[in-house]
Amino acid sequence: MADILTLTLSTLMSEPGLKRSTSPSSSSTLLVGGRGISRSLLLLAAVTAASELRVRVVFFTRTQIQSLPAPLQKRLPNQSPEGLKKITFCYPRTVEELLQQVASLHDSPPPSLIVVDRLEDFLCAPGLHPGERSCAAHLSALLCDTAAFLTQVLEQRPSGSAPCRILASYHSELDPGPAEADDCPTDPVLDVLDRYFQIRCTLDQDRGYGAAAAGLQELWHIYVSGGEATAWEDGPGGAQDWQLLVSPSGSIEFKVVCKHHCRSTHQAHDLSPQ
Amino acid sequence: MFWCHPIGWRNRRLPQTQDVKMRSFLPAVAEQLFRDIQKTYQETSKIPDDLLIALKFVFGPCALQALDLVDHRSVTCLTSPSGRKAFQVKGASGRLYTCFVSCHYCPCPAFAYTVLRRDEGLLCKHILAIYLCQALGLTQQESVSDQHMSALLGGSAAVDT
Repeated sequence: MADILTLTLSTLMSEPGLKRSTSPSSSSTLLVGGRGISRSLLLLAAVTAASELRVRVVFFTRTQIQSLPAPLQKRLPNQSPEGLKKITFCYPRTVEELLQQVASLHDSPPPSLIVVDRLEDFLCAPGLHPGERSCAAHLSALLCDTAAFLTQVLEQRPSGSAPCRILASYHSELDPGPAEADDCPTDPVLDVLDRYFQIRCTLDQDRGYGAAAAGLQELWHIYVSGGEATAWEDGPGGAQDWQLLVSPSGSIEFKVVCKHHCRSTHQAHDLSPQ
Repeated sequence: MFWCHPIGWRNRRLPQTQDVKMRSFLPAVAEQLFRDIQKTYQETSKIPDDLLIALKFVFGPCALQALDLVDHRSVTCLTSPSGRKAFQVKGASGRLYTCFVSCHYCPCPAFAYTVLRRDEGLLCKHILAIYLCQALGLTQQESVSDQHMSALLGGSAAVDT
């Protein structure tokens, strides 16, 4: 799994068990689903990269960030202000502006992490339907090509801040749910994004009684798929499932669960490494 | 889809030479075909019929269209002072298509329809022409400003004809 996201989740762990790996890994990761929680994860990843890895981060989002998520507010007193200054927030209003700003990154100090919040805000805007696949492909390809170029630039520097990674989120209106069937309509934009992003982390909210019984506000399962999903290993065989637990206070906790506990209920979506 | 989640993506680095090479996300048979074409062309300055037939077999009708683009020296590798590179292919109509160095994308209608929508092809004639021009050493070289490179990559540059 993407190294920075792994590091971010490991900082949310209440129990030891997940390797806090920061070794260069997959360069592009797409968070799918969890429209509310994904922004918190992206912000946490940006802060983690800037403060712990001390690398430059560029954060693209269409909507202004009015307040920081609760788990981030709790962590902020522990963060170095200098580290947080390494995050540059950009607010493109349209996909054309986003394309232009990403295309200009080669002409500025190179970031090691490029975050794009809510791709659907750019790619699924009203009136964009003709050519939306091509637009999604253009943006994805530009992000990947930019990361590849910036990695080259960073590798030539002694700071050791290579590679440049991409972390983006996308929420599909055509949410297939855990019981995805072959005849379900597929999201054309997500289909294109999957071509370019190496790793997909699907966030699936558990709406059963388990979350309420545990006194949680929300319980999210994380399913990892893609070329290097097996890199996120923990324990013998890497046989884990991953959960995000949101408490009523808004704090987020990350938990590793043995896969055999949930296999019976989530077998259809079991994309975790074997 | 042979080129989604390409194996070896993070382990491949762009060559430091002036003649930048597009990363190949093609099946092994296509990569071997380009190697054979490159080797034979270097020795004889020709592409023999059997390799042309193989090219048509692997890539279908866009192979001939791509060869036509190669004949017209339609592929240019653009470089800006920052070191950023991109390919530009001049189509039969004179329109310029900007393609990326590290992954497959072309703004042409055929790529949007055949590759992205129908999932029936690996690439369009413009991307195939880039692979062929690199194998044959027929890629043109051109320098552009950083600002112009940004405009080309972002798709906001005026379409030249």
